Amino acid sequence: MMRLLQYQGIPLWRNVVFLQFTLQIVSAVLVVSFLTIVFTNLFREIDQREIPFGFSFLDRSTGIPIGETLIDYTPEDSYRYTLFVAFLNTVKVAFVGVVFATIVGIIVGVARLSPNWLVNRLALVYIDVFRNIPLLVQLLFWFFIVLALPPIREAYVLGDAFFLSNSGFAMPWVAPQGSFWPWVLVCALGLGAAFYAARVMERRETESGRASHSLLAFLVITFGVGTAAFFAFGGPLDVTMPERGAFERLSGGTQVSGSFLALLIGLVVYTSSFIAEIVRAGIQSVSKGQTEAARSTGLNGTASLRFVIFPQALRVIIPPTISHYLNLTKNSSLAAAIGYPDMVSVATTLTQTAPAVSLIGIVMVSYLGLSLFYALIGNIYNRLIRYKAL
Amino acid sequence: MSTTTAERFGPAPPPPAFTVGWQGWLRMNLFSSWSSGIVTIALGVALFFAALGGVRWLIFTSDWAVITDRVPLYIVGTYPREYYWRPEIALLLVSGLMGMAWRTWGGPARGFAAAFGALVFVVALIPYQMDVLYRALLLAVPAAMAGGYYCAHFIPEQSRTKWFGITGAGVLIASLLVIAGFSLPGIGSPAGLHPVTESEVGGLMLNLLLAAFGIIASLPIGIALALGRRSRLPVLKFACVAFIETIRGVPLITLLFMSRHLLPLTFPENIDVSLLYLSGITITIFSSAYMAENVRGGMAAVSPQQSQAGEALGLKQWQTTLFITLPQGLRNIIPAIVGQFISLFKDTSLVFIIGMLDLVEIGRAGLSGKIEYSDNGMEVYLFLALVFWVFTFSMAYISRRIERTLGVGRR
Repeated sequence: MMRLLQYQGIPLWRNVVFLQFTLQIVSAVLVVSFLTIVFTNLFREIDQREIPFGFSFLDRSTGIPIGETLIDYTPEDSYRYTLFVAFLNTVKVAFVGVVFATIVGIIVGVARLSPNWLVNRLALVYIDVFRNIPLLVQLLFWFFIVLALPPIREAYVLGDAFFLSNSGFAMPWVAPQGSFWPWVLVCALGLGAAFYAARVMERRETESGRASHSLLAFLVITFGVGTAAFFAFGGPLDVTMPERGAFERLSGGTQVSGSFLALLIGLVVYTSSFIAEIVRAGIQSVSKGQTEAARSTGLNGTASLRFVIFPQALRVIIPPTISHYLNLTKNSSLAAAIGYPDMVSVATTLTQTAPAVSLIGIVMVSYLGLSLFYALIGNIYNRLIRYKAL
Repeated sequence: MSTTTAERFGPAPPPPAFTVGWQGWLRMNLFSSWSSGIVTIALGVALFFAALGGVRWLIFTSDWAVITDRVPLYIVGTYPREYYWRPEIALLLVSGLMGMAWRTWGGPARGFAAAFGALVFVVALIPYQMDVLYRALLLAVPAAMAGGYYCAHFIPEQSRTKWFGITGAGVLIASLLVIAGFSLPGIGSPAGLHPVTESEVGGLMLNLLLAAFGIIASLPIGIALALGRRSRLPVLKFACVAFIETIRGVPLITLLFMSRHLLPLTFPENIDVSLLYLSGITITIFSSAYMAENVRGGMAAVSPQQSQAGEALGLKQWQTTLFITLPQGLRNIIPAIVGQFISLFKDTSLVFIIGMLDLVEIGRAGLSGKIEYSDNGMEVYLFLALVFWVFTFSMAYISRRIERTLGVGRR
């Protein structure tokens, strides 16, 4: 009997291989049985309570109007299309939010390190205040302020082009014409050529040690090609200005609603206060010796910033910043509280006429997709910046 | 013979006159260069006019009746008036706990407890229509603190933190039971307390309850998840990774929505769980997924020699983890843990999506409830922001103090 319980002379209960194996099995059984219990309960309840479930509703027409959309939409459209329209609204606010949050975050983060006492104290107050108040409260606050703005009739107008009123913000925008896509193609080609030229010049600079103005060349080529092609194609973009029309409506240009404006301000202010801290920590993480070493090898202030400090600081700054981009995207779901038609708020409206669990399930999967997208960007960046063996 | 610098060169000359005194400070910090001076003046003027506008609004325009008219509503929501003594008992228990913390940790806990006691005391003295008993219970808060302080005296100093943790969890669970008086299947409600329905637990009390529950539960669950993710058992590891990444990839309000519609269906038959607990569970789960990632980061920063040393001492693997790597890993991430607690507290405001009346929702309902209050959004939102800010900022402050006490970054 004892012989049976031994393997290579070691009793089974002290045999590492056996123990590992048993633990694997036990953990597998535990996980699987937990999931089984959960799902049995779930399906039983769904059966018993006759809870609507499934995805057959997706092709039905929704019949709800959506205030603002990126693409054409009518209430007769299907659930599938409606959810897609709402998804685009989420992407829109997330994209604009990410751009502005980055700009504001960098400004506040650098201001935090300013030698000017007033500037760095103000930056500190900004960070400590906006980071510590729930985003929901901030959104409601901004929405209240936007709603307290004057009506379109008495809107704040800047140069007959920018209108700010309680129904939102309007500004001049461009409308693509027939030759838009060929123009974009030519611009892309110009960008590629400029990139290549800059690389060649930089390589020559490294080899010869003589300064070349690669950045200048890059900008000149890119904008030169873009502008030349713009006139060659006879204006692929048409600028439209917002104008006051009948019934106190604005037409032309591009317009965003008051709730979009409040959501954007809230998300930007909230997220930028986090990004500012990351930027500050990132710049401080580069040791002072690096600056001194760069200066003593003969690089001037700008060059040492560009070639020595920033590359190292970015290494620290970018990964957490990307995770805050994801947070911003997820936080945009709070739009439900102020009536911007993002995915969550449209889906909750739709739950009145379709299975709630299925709808929210779709929304969750979409967010998972977005977070995978951010993870992908993060991974690509991490691969790019990995220290290469010399 | 060696001579000191002072002997060879005489006493050090005084610092340049333009760097000392308040003029020196102004010159160095506000007017160090032309551009700096211009920025200072521009910002100064802007700040002056902003402050002027703010003060004028505060004195002439603002009307705080929307808040002062319904203080209890903001604090406890629509909790039945005849049961006010129950949250107050819970408050007294927590005050006792604070007294204990005062003695155990001193420093940051002392400041927080003192400020909290003073605040409650002042609130209790506000001439507001309130039963004598309720007022007396509020006024007893400092006494309860003193009691807790006195009790901690009997615990030997080394084991105070441990006992504090145990009592703390006990007190908070007891508070939850007393406030909600929830009935356990088959057992009924503790001490025959009348259960309060979920919609009656609201206001700041709801935010604090959810946050306390989440803070207690999310750290251990997060640690377990992080250890599971580091485990060599593939099934366990996969389950933990899938759980963490799924939860982290979706917004909390979709999870809360699911907690209302889907979570109850996964429980065994005939168990009816109140929305209060469902939202508490959801917030905890959400927070623990983030916590797990923090813990994983902290554990990764512990050098592998530490666990090798543990093995060399003959410790088993679980002992090495529990006594050597985990404590060091956790110490690495104190700011991240507290940051997660803070965001958990902020996230409790999202329960509006499943129709619970937390502080923010009460404020919002107050604005739309009466027509004469509908213009007072500014007052309400500033008040809400201030309340949340006081809590979150003091948490951040305590975290910095704890970090200093534990000497992170100085070893």
